[in-house]
Amino acid sequence: MRSASPSLFAAFALALFAAALGAANAADVKGAAPTDPALIEKIRTSNAECYACHTEAGLKNPPRADMDLAALAKTIHDPKQFDGSNHTGMECKICHGQGYVAFPHAPEAKKAISECGECHATKALRVETQFKDSVHAKNLADKFTCQTCHDPHVYKVAVKVGDPRKIVAQDNAMCVDCHNSDLRYASFSAVLPTKKVRPDLYATHDFLPNARLHWSAVRCIECHTPMSPVKSLATSHEILGKDKAEKACLTCHSQDSALATRLYRFSAANVGTDLGFANASVLGSAYVVGATRHPLIDRAVIALFGLTVAGLLGHGAVRIVMAFFRRRRTS
Amino acid sequence: MSHRIYLLPPWLRIWHWTNAALMIVLAVTGASLHFADPGLYLVPFSLAAKFHDIAGVALLVAYGFFVLANIVTGNWWQYVPKPPGVFARCWKQIVFYGWGIFRGAPHPYPPTKEANFNALQAIVYWVIMYLVVPTVILTGVVFLFPDLAPAKVFGLDGLLPVAMLHYLSGAAVILFMLAHIYLGTTGVRPTSLFKMMITGWHEE
Repeated sequence: MRSASPSLFAAFALALFAAALGAANAADVKGAAPTDPALIEKIRTSNAECYACHTEAGLKNPPRADMDLAALAKTIHDPKQFDGSNHTGMECKICHGQGYVAFPHAPEAKKAISECGECHATKALRVETQFKDSVHAKNLADKFTCQTCHDPHVYKVAVKVGDPRKIVAQDNAMCVDCHNSDLRYASFSAVLPTKKVRPDLYATHDFLPNARLHWSAVRCIECHTPMSPVKSLATSHEILGKDKAEKACLTCHSQDSALATRLYRFSAANVGTDLGFANASVLGSAYVVGATRHPLIDRAVIALFGLTVAGLLGHGAVRIVMAFFRRRRTS
Repeated sequence: MSHRIYLLPPWLRIWHWTNAALMIVLAVTGASLHFADPGLYLVPFSLAAKFHDIAGVALLVAYGFFVLANIVTGNWWQYVPKPPGVFARCWKQIVFYGWGIFRGAPHPYPPTKEANFNALQAIVYWVIMYLVVPTVILTGVVFLFPDLAPAKVFGLDGLLPVAMLHYLSGAAVILFMLAHIYLGTTGVRPTSLFKMMITGWHEE
């Protein structure tokens, strides 16, 4: 008992310290990357220790001879990519824990990697309720984690990416990584009671005119997630299978286009002037038939059409009346 | 007794009606696409998109045939308004449509084998067939292959000017078509000119 007390105290103090440190860095995660030069330098030095091995360069020139290079090859990262991600400015050890401080890493270190919800608690709560209704939960509930789609070393939220084309490229890559890869798709479908063959994306989207163009211009989730009744809410994580997915072209291809509140909901500021166009925020990077149209020009064209029809019918009516009178006069 | 002259060779009549059918399909499907709205009861969007693409490509082929046949047969010469006095003749034609036609006056420039079209007709047909229709076809081709469009124009998507040109030139063709069909009723009888477009024989 006596000997245990000091060590318990030390553990408690260490835990308090770690918690305080974690909280300080986690607070940085919530907002922008840290700005304090001393902290930045500390994080840089700490991460450099990890990058010494866990990068392409580290793999080529491992700092130690006794490393399992095959295992290392599976855990390399691109520091540049990480710096462009949402988690830029974070210390690797915030998520990866103390088990990774020394080499070889602690055997149970992997199990101690922080869950996303530890920092993103509010979001996780909302996402989990949406996710449990998704097609992924239905088929792969236990195998599917946040990281199945969102690589925390790479991912950046749409509002920070800004350019809709880049949002599309990033987000669709998450889907096609599995849905366009027989290998990865098979690794997931292996747990299903009946093995599922990866459906060909072109075949399942054959109703979609110019599918390739759609895939480069909009995210899969524009159709494969339900519309939120609250437009300001983030995109739903309830991924819909083909039976429930949106198939009505007019959802996007109309003046009341869903694109404005989905992919382009952060883009309003991208366009200096809207020039009077409907869905002008979309026009910054795409022309969408039926959506990006000009109500004034449309009205002018319709008026011209109406005037032409009325004019021609009027002309015809006068001809008929005059011909009637002419006939009466001659008879 | 009516006087008949043979004006229109079969190739021209076949092209004309093919062109007419395609233009109608393109106009209806084009309006369905551009004015797409849950309250608009025209052609469903995906069907309209499909038909518009098919009819558009068919129109390109038909137009290619039209240009070639015009060169080969020399029919292109008919579309050239012949000076002198082109505008005076146009004006006379306009006065006829605005006044003379109501009083039963004869057409000021009835067609002959040498000159199918009056001056006004030649100018309007030339503008439509050699300026507006090529514009609508070329912009349509860019629509089919959007990579052909510039990436950005004044900070907006490069397809925007192409789309606007396609829309407005398409609208111009439709307005022409309305007037063209109506003027088809101005023969000796309301049906005579339509018959001519089928048989090739013009009746006076």
